[in-house]
Amino acid sequence: MKFAIDDLPIIFPYDRIYPEQYAYMCDLKRALDARGHCVLEMPSGTGKTVSLLSLIVSYQQFYPTPRKLIYCSRTVPEIEKALAELKRLVAYRIECAETEETKEKERRFMGLGLTSRKNLCIHPEVSKEKKGKVVDARCRDLTNAATCEAGRANPGSVELCDWHENLGNMEPGSLLPPGVWTLADVLQHGRDNGVCPYFTVRRMMPFVDVIIYSFHYLLDPKVAEQVSKELSKDAIVVFDEAHNIDNVCIESLSIDLTRPMLDSAGRSITKLGEQIEEIKTKDSAKLQEEYVRLVNGLKDPSEDDAEDTFMSNPLLPVDLLNEAVPGNIRKAEHFVAFLKRFVEYLKTRMRVLHVVAETPLSFLQHLKDITYIERRPLRFCAERLQSLIRTLELNRLDEYSALQKVASFATLVSTYEKGFLLILEPFETDNASVPNPVFHFTCLDPSLAIQPVFERFSSVVITSGTISPLDMYPKMLQFTPVVQETYPMTLTRNAFLPLVITRGSDQVAISSRFEVRNDPAVVRNFGSILVEYSKIVPDGIVAFFPSYLYMESIVAAWNDMGILNEVWKHKLIFVETPDANETSIALENYRRACDNGRGAVLLSVARGKVSEGIDFDHNYGRAVIMFGVPYQYTESRILKARLEYLRDAYRIRESEFLGFDAMRNAAQCVGRVLRGKTDWGLMVFADKRFARADKRAKLPRWINQYITETASNLSTDMALTLSKLFMRQISQNPEENLTGISLWTLDDVLQAQAKQKALAAEAKQAEEEDEYGNGDFTDQMLVDLDI
Amino acid sequence: MPPSVCTAKASYKKLPGVLELTDTHLQWAQDGKGPSVRVPLRDVAALFCSKEGAAQVRLKVSLVEDDTGHSFAFTSPKAHNEREKFKAELTLIVSRNRAATEAAARAPATANPPPVMKPVTAAPQMPAASQAPSRAVSVSSADQRNLTIIPGNDPATDVRLRKTILMSHPELGALHRELVAMSGQLTEAEFWEGREYLLLSLAASENQDKGKPGQIVDPRPETVDGETKIVMTPQMIHEIFEEYPVIATAHRENVPSKLAESEFWTRYFKSKLYHAHRASIRSTAAQHVVQDDPILDKYLEKIDDELEPRRQRTEPVEVFVNLGATSEDHGETGNEKDVTMIAGRQRGALPLIRKFNEHSERLLNSALGSTPAAKRQKLNADGDYGQIDIDDLHEPESSTGIVLEMLDRQRYYEGGISNSTSGSEALRPVDIKTLIRHAKVNLADWETNLTQLKIERKPSDAALLSMTQNVAARLDVKARKNDIPDTLFRQMTICQSATNEFLRQFWTSVYPPSAELQVVAAATPAQREAKAAKMIGYLSKTQEKADALVYMGPQHNVDPVRIETAMKPVINAVNRAIAFHQSKTSKPAPRR
Repeated sequence: MKFAIDDLPIIFPYDRIYPEQYAYMCDLKRALDARGHCVLEMPSGTGKTVSLLSLIVSYQQFYPTPRKLIYCSRTVPEIEKALAELKRLVAYRIECAETEETKEKERRFMGLGLTSRKNLCIHPEVSKEKKGKVVDARCRDLTNAATCEAGRANPGSVELCDWHENLGNMEPGSLLPPGVWTLADVLQHGRDNGVCPYFTVRRMMPFVDVIIYSFHYLLDPKVAEQVSKELSKDAIVVFDEAHNIDNVCIESLSIDLTRPMLDSAGRSITKLGEQIEEIKTKDSAKLQEEYVRLVNGLKDPSEDDAEDTFMSNPLLPVDLLNEAVPGNIRKAEHFVAFLKRFVEYLKTRMRVLHVVAETPLSFLQHLKDITYIERRPLRFCAERLQSLIRTLELNRLDEYSALQKVASFATLVSTYEKGFLLILEPFETDNASVPNPVFHFTCLDPSLAIQPVFERFSSVVITSGTISPLDMYPKMLQFTPVVQETYPMTLTRNAFLPLVITRGSDQVAISSRFEVRNDPAVVRNFGSILVEYSKIVPDGIVAFFPSYLYMESIVAAWNDMGILNEVWKHKLIFVETPDANETSIALENYRRACDNGRGAVLLSVARGKVSEGIDFDHNYGRAVIMFGVPYQYTESRILKARLEYLRDAYRIRESEFLGFDAMRNAAQCVGRVLRGKTDWGLMVFADKRFARADKRAKLPRWINQYITETASNLSTDMALTLSKLFMRQISQNPEENLTGISLWTLDDVLQAQAKQKALAAEAKQAEEEDEYGNGDFTDQMLVDLDI
Repeated sequence: MPPSVCTAKASYKKLPGVLELTDTHLQWAQDGKGPSVRVPLRDVAALFCSKEGAAQVRLKVSLVEDDTGHSFAFTSPKAHNEREKFKAELTLIVSRNRAATEAAARAPATANPPPVMKPVTAAPQMPAASQAPSRAVSVSSADQRNLTIIPGNDPATDVRLRKTILMSHPELGALHRELVAMSGQLTEAEFWEGREYLLLSLAASENQDKGKPGQIVDPRPETVDGETKIVMTPQMIHEIFEEYPVIATAHRENVPSKLAESEFWTRYFKSKLYHAHRASIRSTAAQHVVQDDPILDKYLEKIDDELEPRRQRTEPVEVFVNLGATSEDHGETGNEKDVTMIAGRQRGALPLIRKFNEHSERLLNSALGSTPAAKRQKLNADGDYGQIDIDDLHEPESSTGIVLEMLDRQRYYEGGISNSTSGSEALRPVDIKTLIRHAKVNLADWETNLTQLKIERKPSDAALLSMTQNVAARLDVKARKNDIPDTLFRQMTICQSATNEFLRQFWTSVYPPSAELQVVAAATPAQREAKAAKMIGYLSKTQEKADALVYMGPQHNVDPVRIETAMKPVINAVNRAIAFHQSKTSKPAPRR
């Protein structure tokens, strides 16, 4: 379908369009035109990604100076989906292009996705490694500049990666033919042509129109500096599925240190010391060279090869200092001694047997009092370590990861004064007796990590199916959006039925509140909800629990009570496990069971692995049951500190934030059932606290608008009756006419545009008339008056 | 002819044929020939079945004198179900026989199992030929048109399907008997035309593999007379072996060389192995009281409660559900999760959770076969886009639709035009201000108007009266319901349903055929016309039938008027059909 918004011609890869999609595109265009940031909430499953890509690609292709699109998503499946969506869009654009010239232009359009080496490696041995960190390290060993040089000068002397070498023989900028490449495509291309997919993507990044990767690649300064440094300022940045963006921001600047890590760091330091001694005897010029370089400042462009950087400064490019490294850590052996002292200090701190919470400033003061370590050299710790490791040409860097963490910690703690807190927890839980100390360095302010993004890029789009209340995000992330919009869902018939179950059939109130959650009556009532729904709902049912701990204990309890035996009679049962790969296989089987008609139940956790990025549309999820309100664990000290910070800095009340956070996650879980408006599903909220108006008000409008007063306070049996009724109705032929109301054809779009234009004109006229009119009767009205 | 209890297609000595169980005999006939194997039921001594999931579904019958017996392999697509049916029937017979022989051994005088001695015709018979409806089938099979309604099914299966339907829908069965079998007014094919969906759905549901029941085998102890017992059935043992291969190994290695069968199980249920396998929170507590068992403890495996599963799976996972890729997409960041959000802290639950996932997978694989790795990597059949496509945004494929046939179409449109011209004034844009003003004028003085409102006595009385009468009439009807004698009532019902069937046949032959069910070879217009005429012939007799019923009324002490009223709608419908038919057949003439 082709239409125009203002003067921008849009090509949309479907014959119809939802009104929400149209409105979304209009608002998005407004924000892009204004070169400002925006927050948009669009109902899940109404084709957000396709509208977004369709508008932005049209935008890029229409205006003479194309702005690059940086599209960030949360998970690899979502990245792959977005790439597939883009691929189809571009194929459609090629098909629609009228002249050969425009066709050629569309064909030259390029889109790529980036993920880790672990996911993109095709080296037969390296790719077998289980841990991403090990893959990274081994890959670096095979591909870093020094190794390559040695290997090329003297073939066979060192092992090189053939796939990486083949890439070097090709013309930079044309490693891939133009087009859109999904991750699977790139992997296949790599296998077919014997080139490394990871470096293909990395090296092609400056040449693409769209790059799709995960949030971390832009928000986490350690990664961002490597991969996102060269992106131009006028790029359009999109954070899709951004409802948890504040958590990603916080995570990217937080670090945990444990005793085993400090021990490992200590060992690495010793090893570094040995290496230095060795190199001193063999090649002392190298160290001298490094020294000179450090005097001149950290930034040295010569070494700026993507392959070499193994870790980078946890600070952001803005904070990068172009000044000389302080004298007392310039010499390699001095730096090693410095690190040793620092690690020893941290180890001593860990011996304390009571909880300590302190600000970075107080930590630095104490550090200085005890060890005489100053703040300034501490700031350079990460950079200095990187430089040293490069000079020593070390291999298997994964063994140094603990030391890298300590160095990052040192740099961060000495850089930020506000928005961070150090918490030392000597015991894992309150009633543990064996100490297992953890030193949390926790970021409290999500705006710190995202600020550089807002400052650097002119248009940042934050969008998701569930980011209500909208004003929370600008507040937390400290930015001013030019457009801030949420769209209701237009439906000709209610495609989903949200139900709030507050009590079991025996009228006992159900809740996942800590005090009652293990009450047998509550457990049984939760169980009977699952049993009853597994009897009446076809195909797939997904159930979410508020935490892993609760899910694991309730699954065991249900098994002992014989509840699961009832479920087995009707459906297969799959459960999320701690292991990601194991869970993926369970998910795959779950889908097979749904496709086959046997039907299955999937038990998983809100905010867990499955709740992010896996869709349960159509037969994969005919009902979602939310057992309990997914509140965070309020006893967590980190959470408490964050709440306190939010209250003091942004005037967000604790209860407000907790409620908001719980509801956005609940909404996210239930929102996964829909894709398209003919899809249908039940959304069951099983907790009496969902009945409260203030809770429901925090749900996105498109869900909330369909919760009726009767459906907001039900017992299990009543909910079942309603559900049966709903399924009977929804299973009727949907061939009623959706067009015009919840589905627009091209004509409808044009009509809407005409109407809008008329409205605008009227508004303008009204404005004009206001100036002259006496505010009573207009001339037109007098003419129309029929006397 | 003895009615057959069940029949199925089965091969015997590699020859295809039909196996049939009658009241007296188990017999097998090669296709198209007479029964070559006939076993009197009282001779059946034992029954053997092939394992579930074996390539062939076999049933072996051994006889009293002859241990080798006969072995049949079921060949139809739902062989499994059929075998189960035979098995169920034969098991009863076998147990009866055994009881009888035992009784005979005890008291030979009383041992006289009463076999039903009936002469059995040895003529080749269709499996269901003993039933009245199927006689009609063979009659109607002369009518060349499709007996086989579902493509790919042979007539025998088809007949069986029809029989099942007729037996499960008594009303339909009665109708069928009335119209097809008894009077022959309709042919078999005609009767089923328009009812194919019944056959299709039955065939579909029969062909559906039900799969194994989902419950995990969990032998729980029962307390009987203060003694704790666990009752084991061969089925349970089989499931336990399947669920826990290690027990199968233990069983194979120790029974009967070291342990007797029962001893093995007694020890197993006392062993740590059993408690490890139960994997419930409760059993972890019991772990400490369980004694060591030198034999079975060897088979104890490490409990699968680590964060990573004991059995690592390396096969690639479909991209859209690959959670591992996300966790490896970037280095770990941030603080560790709080205690409640760390997966796997409840160690005791992990083996249980894994057991669920594995059990579900096993069940799926038993039904579907495991997914080959190559297929798994492909996203799905319709490429990458199937999972991201929003189908309702596509242009719906337009259907041709049926042109509405109307009398005087031209005039209708003209009328519309003239209407619209006259109505155009009304459609003029409404001036809201004027409207409001009018409304206001109308509403003025509403209070005085209201006080002046007077209700005329007469009409209101009349209204009340009519309402009372209405209620009284209903009460009356309720009070004397169902007083039509049974015989008459049944006749009326039969007359009605038969007429309805004729009507249905008539209208389907008049209306264009539905596009959905193309299984029936479409009838030619001439055939359809002939059929319509035939139906009209039947229908025109309805009036007589109704009159006869009305006439019978007084004999049964029923008011003829009531019968007439009851039959009225049918008569109306019939008259309408006749009128339509007449207008249609007479219409082309004047045009010519």
